[in-house]
Formats: sequence, C-alpha cells, structure tokens
Amino acid sequence: MSYQNWLNYLTSAEKNSMISGRLRKVLYKFPDGQQMAEDYNLDTGVVLRRAWRKCKQLMGQPEWEIELGEEPRQLNWSGNTTNGAGGGDAANTPDDDFMLRESNTAPLLTKRVTKKNIEWRIRNMPYPLNVYNVSASPEQHSIIVRTTNKKYYKVIPVPELDRCGTSPAQSNISVHHQFNTLIITYLKPPILCEMEAQVLLLLKDVETETDMDDLLKGLMAK
Amino acid sequence: MTEAEKIEVRDITRIERIGAHSHIRGLGLDDVLEARAVSQGMVGQKDARRAAGVVVQMVREGKIAGRCILLAGEPSTGKTAIAVGMAQALGTETPFTSMSGSEIYSLEMSKTEALSQALRKSIGVRIKEETEIIEGEVVEIQIERPATGTGQKVGKVTLKTTEMETNYDLGNKIIECFMKEKIQAGDVITIDKASGKVNKLGRSFTRARDYDATGAQTRFVQCPEGELQKRKEVVHTVTLHEIDVINSRTHGFLALFSGDTGEIKQEVRDQINNKVLEWREEGKAEINPGVLFIDEVHMLDIECFSYLNRALESDMAPVVVMATNRGITRIRGTNYRSPHGIPIDLLDRMIIIRTVPYSEKEVKEILKIRCEEEDCVMHPDALTILTRIATDTSLRYAIQLITTANLVCRRRKATEVNTEDVKKVYSLFLDENRSSKILKEYQDDYMFSEITEKEEDFGIGGGSKRRLDIGAGDAEAMEH
Repeated sequence: MSYQNWLNYLTSAEKNSMISGRLRKVLYKFPDGQQMAEDYNLDTGVVLRRAWRKCKQLMGQPEWEIELGEEPRQLNWSGNTTNGAGGGDAANTPDDDFMLRESNTAPLLTKRVTKKNIEWRIRNMPYPLNVYNVSASPEQHSIIVRTTNKKYYKVIPVPELDRCGTSPAQSNISVHHQFNTLIITYLKPPILCEMEAQVLLLLKDVETETDMDDLLKGLMAK
Repeated sequence: MTEAEKIEVRDITRIERIGAHSHIRGLGLDDVLEARAVSQGMVGQKDARRAAGVVVQMVREGKIAGRCILLAGEPSTGKTAIAVGMAQALGTETPFTSMSGSEIYSLEMSKTEALSQALRKSIGVRIKEETEIIEGEVVEIQIERPATGTGQKVGKVTLKTTEMETNYDLGNKIIECFMKEKIQAGDVITIDKASGKVNKLGRSFTRARDYDATGAQTRFVQCPEGELQKRKEVVHTVTLHEIDVINSRTHGFLALFSGDTGEIKQEVRDQINNKVLEWREEGKAEINPGVLFIDEVHMLDIECFSYLNRALESDMAPVVVMATNRGITRIRGTNYRSPHGIPIDLLDRMIIIRTVPYSEKEVKEILKIRCEEEDCVMHPDALTILTRIATDTSLRYAIQLITTANLVCRRRKATEVNTEDVKKVYSLFLDENRSSKILKEYQDDYMFSEITEKEEDFGIGGGSKRRLDIGAGDAEAMEH
C-alpha cells in the first residue's frame, strides 16, 4: 500500500518540461529506456494525457501508447499504427494502404482522469444499461466489462492503482449509459489522490519557464 | 468462382526440381554419432561423416565461435554432399549459409565486405518480442472485388470470441493473405497486427456439422476466450546481417528484399554487436550461431585469407566449413605454393576432414539412391554396367546417364531401364576422358590448331585483338 516505488521511478527519470497554452507538458526519460509524456492542465493540476513509449527490440522507432486521454483523430483517420510514428517507411505506405483496422462502428474506449474520479467512456455502445456487467477483478488488477449478449468484453487495467499498490474495489465503481456511450466512473481512493499530490510536488522541482508555485498552492489548499 | 478455382490449381501444382544433392536429408548418423552404411541419402565416407557429426554437435552447443573446418578430397568424393548433410542435420532453425569461393568477386562490393556479410548471415539471433495479435473465430467475411477485375478490393470481417464480437475493415494486402489461406466463416484465425500475417488455427467446433465431408487434416479447435486483441510474446529469428541492413540508414529495410545492400559501415556493425550482447544479458535475445560453408575455397585470394584469420577471432564468428579439391597449389594472388592453396597460418587454425574416393559398392548405392530420387526404375544389370562406367569415368557422368537413359527408355515405351538403354546413352554422350582422347587424335582438324606451344602467348594476344576488332565492328553497326 505504498506509492514509494513509483515516486522513486519518477525521480530516477530525466525530466523535461514546457508550457504550451494552459498545458504543462512533461517528458520523462527513464534509465531503462522507456519514455513517458504527460500533459497537465495548469488550472486544475489534473493529468489530461499520458503516453508511453516502450523500447522496441528490433530497433526502429517505437510508437507512443496512450494510457489516458483522447487519441488525436482526424476525419480520414487511418488506423494503421505502423505509420503512426514511422520514420523511413511512412513515405511508401499511402493513406489507404492499411493492414487492418476496427470498423468505425466498433466500440471505442477512452479514459480520462478528473480530480475525484477515473472515467472510462466506451463509445458506439448501443445496448441498454442492463446488458452490461462491470466488475472489479482484484486478481487481475483490472476492471472487466462484460455484456450479456456477448458483443463486448474488455479487461481494463488500472495502472494508477497498481502504482500505489491497491486493487480495484467493486464499491468504487458506478456505471451510466447515455448517447450510445457507456460511462464507467471509479472513485479515486485517498491514497491515489495523495500520490498525485506527491507527483505534483516532485514536478515542482523540474525547471520550466513558468512558476509552478502558485498552481500548487491552490491545489494543496483543497 | 472459376477464377478462384484456377488460383487453387496453380497453388497445388508446384514443381520440385531435382538438384545434384536433393537426395540428401541428413548425415545418416545414429544417436552415438556412428555413421550408418546407407542412411538419409548418404553412402560410405564413414570417417568424414563421423567427423562432420562432431562438428554438428559443436555447432548445436553453440559455445565455440570461429572454428574452421576444411573438407579436403578429390573431386566427386562427396564434400558438398557432407556440407548439405550438415545443413539438413542442423535443421531450419540454425542458419546455414552456403557460398562459393568465387562469389566474393563483385564489382559492387569489396571482397572483405562480401565475406563479412556472409559471416554475419550465419549468426542467428532469436529475439523475444511482445506483439499484439487478434485471435478469433470468423463469423462473417465479405470481400468485394471491383467488376473490372483490377483495383482496390474492399473487405470486411467479423471476428468473435466466446465473450465478444468486432467488425474489422481489411486492407488490400491482408485481403490477399485471407484469400491465400482460404479463410472462410467458421475458421479460427490469428492475425499479427504489426506484420499482417494471417494464420489459420483450425475450424471451430460449433461449425463441425456444416460440412459432412472434411479433409483428414482439418483440425477442430475451441472458439477463443476473452478479448479479441491479445498481447503475446513471439520469437523472431533473424540473422545479424538482417539487423545490419535494417539499421544501415542509407537504404532502410527495403534493401533486404532487393538484395542491394551495398557496404555496411563497421560502426553500424559494432553498434549492433553491442546491442545484441546487451539484449542477451537482459535475457531478451539468444544468439544462435550457425555455419558458413565456403565451397571451392581455393578461389579465395591472399587478402581474403588474412581477413578470415582476423575475422575468425571475433566472438561473433560462426563455425566456418570450407571445401576444396586442390592439392599443393598456388595461393591465389601470390606466387607461393601451399597445401590446398590456403596459407599455412590459416591451415594451422583448421581441423581437416579428408574424404576418400568411393568403393565400387558405395558407388552402386549412390546410383541406386539417385535412381529413386529421379523416379527411374533400373534393371539390376543396367545398374551394374552403370557402376562400371562410374568407376571407369566419374560418378557425376554416371549420374547424368541415369536421366538420359531414363528418357531413352521412355521413348521405347518401357518402364524399366535396361542395359541397352545405358549402352545407347553411353555411345551418345561422351565422358571427359573419351572427349579429350578424341581431341588429341584429331587435334589437327580443329580450328586454330596451327598454334604451337611456343607461339601460344603471341597467338592468344592475336586472338584477343581479333575479338576486339569484332567488338568494334559491332559497335559501328549499332551506330548506323
């Protein structure tokens, strides 16, 4: 029940920070070769996006994997992940030359974090609320979404809870359904809020053009 | 529909050609590395095969780098056959690169570059990598071809597991894969998301009743459980050379397919060596050293030999097997004579396996095996005559007579080759001995026979000048 490992891991990283608009962007370069990027909202101190770049075996540029936040989507979106960050070979794969992609009617999962909650939205889910069965699975450290009509099944990992050494609890989950979207809300346990505050304190020391003190003062006062 | 049938037929009738060593399936050794008399296409040569078996064992253990083995023996005593047998015994997992000594002489690449590429092609690296695969049962598949026959195909597939179901749009390349694997509703498949490789696992149990006639090889499998997309650890086997090419910035990985790799900088190689060693320490990769086989090794010159001296000392070097049929001869590129045409200092680093000429009985066995390989039924008497021919002339000549005699036999609509057929082809086709004898006898009737030994140098010079003239004439003709 401790987030010390995670804090140590963050401390070990080489951190870079910049401010663009009302966002503070932080890039972590960990000693084991992984990279993590976070976008913080300067007004609320909440993480809007977090992405990982894990090192690849066979060289080549690895892609960013989005842990939370929206994926930037364009109108003629091509789901070909291979030319997402492709350095040399992007040129010879035209836009419609994709391998395989989920059709645009398939359910789409996004995650976002608010001050009190972690939220998942599954879009393109037309079935009524009683079809879904959302349960916490402490053994798998994740939340499992099932459907009684066997149309959708997803194991959603909760890395935040892993980082502070807890497992998801059924009592914290609430589910809504509206506008073709299933919304799963998970109430953050106190230890997670504490960890996030600690991370913000850690980031205070990272040099950036603007002063983080004012922002943090407001946050700690809550 | 008819078009689909045509494609099917084309796939099935693949022609397998019979090469000089296609009858060899291994070294023919038993568990304790003793050579069996006739096994896996190998006959006789027991000592050499036993020695090769020890080498194979050494490669399999993979601990020793940069050893050099020389197969030395007279022409047609099975040196290449032993090398092919070693390759077969090592299996497909171990890289076995086969090259001829003359292959290194290219205008596009320096000799040492060609050698070091060959050396690095012979070191395999097994890399464990996590990839995303999609595993599910096909519920429905639609592939629309445009009416004109060419152009973009549009495909959709619905996959399901016991828990969920998703629709996918298919790209052009993957549609080809689906058609090649003949994926249809009810099949359980996996798709590698990165490479787009489609793999058919079998048919779903729930669809077992759909067809009453199924092939014997149809496997029935359960519908997969859980999520469609899974992360799985897969093992890639690549060679060091392939990693080099992927990382040599100038060409990118496309060079692998075109074969035009050019020279790869030593810095790139060093970097990759370090990286691979790092991965090995982390347990992500495993080095799988193989064998480089250089046939006709006396064709290498002194520079290559001294390069090999150095290259074999690297701990990333494979086991090198060389073969030569030369005795004491000039080292290419020098005026010195040396055993096998190889400098003494390199010979000193080698262990030498000698192949001995085949006995008459062994020759007969080899001919029998070749007859089987070429689907040729031969009367025992004909085989005896052929064996006699083989001992008098050469084994290769006798093997060539099998094919021709078989054709002659088929012309007279018989199924078995008899002595007459063999005699006929023996008179139709000359062997090297008879041909040179005839040349000596009728030397004077052939063209340019007036050139005597003394005048030879001058004569050759004149000849080449004459050829030059002809060339110039051609060029002129082209211009007009």
